[in-house]
Amino acid sequence: METFQHLANGFVVALSLKNLLFATIGCILGTLIGVLPGLGPAAGTALLIPITFKLEPTSAIIMLAAIYYGAMYGGTITSVLINVPGEAASVVTCLDGYEMAKQGRAGPALGIAAIGSFVGGSVATLGLVLMALPLARFALKFGPTEYFSLLLVGLSLVMALAGKSLPKALMMGVIGLVFSLVGVDPVEGAPRFTFGITPLLDGIRFVPVVMGFFGIGEILLNAEKSLAGVMAGEGKVTSFLPKREEWPICVSSILRGTGLGFFLGLIPGTNSAVASFMSYAIEKKVSRHPEKFGTGLIEGVAAPETANNAYANAALIPLFTLGLPGSPTIAILMGALIMNGLTPGPLLFQQHATFVWAVIASLYIGNVILLILNLPLVGWWAKLLKIPYQTLVVIILVFCIIGAYSLNNSVFDIGVMVLCGILGYVFKKLDFPLAPAILTLILGPLMERSLRESLSLSQGDFSIFVTRPISLGLLVITAIIFATSAWQALPSAVREESKEAQV
Amino acid sequence: MSRVNRIVWGVFLLFGGFVIYESLQLSYYGTDFGPGPGFFSFWLGVLVIVLSVVEIGRTLRVSDPVPEGFIPTRQGVKRILSLLGALAACIFLMNPLGYALTTLAFCIFLLRTLAGQSWWLTLLISLGSSFGLLHVFRTLQVFLPTGWFGI
Repeated sequence: METFQHLANGFVVALSLKNLLFATIGCILGTLIGVLPGLGPAAGTALLIPITFKLEPTSAIIMLAAIYYGAMYGGTITSVLINVPGEAASVVTCLDGYEMAKQGRAGPALGIAAIGSFVGGSVATLGLVLMALPLARFALKFGPTEYFSLLLVGLSLVMALAGKSLPKALMMGVIGLVFSLVGVDPVEGAPRFTFGITPLLDGIRFVPVVMGFFGIGEILLNAEKSLAGVMAGEGKVTSFLPKREEWPICVSSILRGTGLGFFLGLIPGTNSAVASFMSYAIEKKVSRHPEKFGTGLIEGVAAPETANNAYANAALIPLFTLGLPGSPTIAILMGALIMNGLTPGPLLFQQHATFVWAVIASLYIGNVILLILNLPLVGWWAKLLKIPYQTLVVIILVFCIIGAYSLNNSVFDIGVMVLCGILGYVFKKLDFPLAPAILTLILGPLMERSLRESLSLSQGDFSIFVTRPISLGLLVITAIIFATSAWQALPSAVREESKEAQV
Repeated sequence: MSRVNRIVWGVFLLFGGFVIYESLQLSYYGTDFGPGPGFFSFWLGVLVIVLSVVEIGRTLRVSDPVPEGFIPTRQGVKRILSLLGALAACIFLMNPLGYALTTLAFCIFLLRTLAGQSWWLTLLISLGSSFGLLHVFRTLQVFLPTGWFGI
């Protein structure tokens, strides 16, 4: 009852004309970012942080959250119409979505994606409402020791799930941590890794790094080859609804996608691409005609798109309740919260209840806005895709420059962004996952602080991490995750040998 | 590819050594029985070295060919260098020339060389991205550099 009272208050704030306007602008900008190939939700959200600088924290986060889930839907449009996914989560939508578009059914593909996204997003938000307070209350039992162990669980999951190679993911995580150490030591005030460069005393900010890794890096990668997509059906989109006989299939796919996306959103380290790929795989498994997947089946669009959006909303649960970002985009939202003087975690519900419940209420409203906006505007978004990519790149670069500069009115940050762009390009070429570096860059200071606070409490005794039951439990989970991923990373021949030796 | 990977992990090995060297310049123990500013970075450096050594050892045992398309074409390299050159110029000119003039030149250069746009469209997009966006961001109270000419 208390939860619904809070939620009702949240709706009062979120439904104010000003916040409705910011949510709508966020949805439009987010969809625009999602539509543009080569600019995913992470870089896009980071890019648009400066336009929220002058807003009050609630409006700023409502707008950024709207940009985030708008971008998730925007990626679908390019996948269906030109077979170019706007971001990783939309890759799987290309398989059946583009085939549907080639058959003249782009409308139903985009329509069911919008409906599925709406259902998935709304159900996940309901889950957030129901789980937020109990989880936050449980998390209040956490001290620095438990928090450090929890961060280790999150980071180990990110590394285990980030790519094919555990050492590469680990290395990226360590690079993010080293980046996070640059600047003045938070406890003793000693400068670290600054090399006498004054701007480095403020540390390396995550926004230029994200824009470099994901924005500039992606643009450099695309610049290697010409990116000329052919628009299916000349962007003509007429009817948005599936055929009558397709509805039962769509409903069950949407329900499965919602459940899976919601569940994965709760696990730090997963990402929306995992949700959409797993959902597609499940649909194929339960289908009576799996061989037809990839030829334009509507459930091949409905399920992954639903899972993708359910994930996006559910991923806010660990952020709001535990202060644990599960993906780079969520980490950027966390950074934006910190920039606005709000620390994500259990105390957020006590200290800034109006803010947090207004943002949760705005998620419902945002999903409705997204549905209302996207169905009639699909034709317009399709027209945008006729702009040559090389021209779009120039405009995207200008926004990257503004985004990096305006963060601290510093040209130095543009330099950091360009350098990180080169690094991002090289890492992508070499198949190093970038997500662990972003997460550790943001979590690094929290991790170091909780480690040092714990050791100060125990007067330098490391056993504090294993003598406290919650911390011990979390460390055991971390060890299991690392052991499992290390075992999976071993070549199959080595694993067979080991099994034979055991026999 | 294993040769490329060996070089990459070799660079990481040097990076790990550098992180350890820098950490040793800082105090390992803090003033309150806890770790000091050099503690965390020291162990991160050790982790980088361990990972690099393990991976270099692994790449010595396998031999993968470099995948097709890994090395960019001459045209691709030219496009990448144009982009990076324009960005580097932008960094150096931003403070003396200001946002509007720097971005105007940046857009004109890239739209003509990279996108091959017509002069009319190039000017339209460049003016919009430079003076147009400057105006929009000023309205949003986000101030961009003005440079020697005050624009």
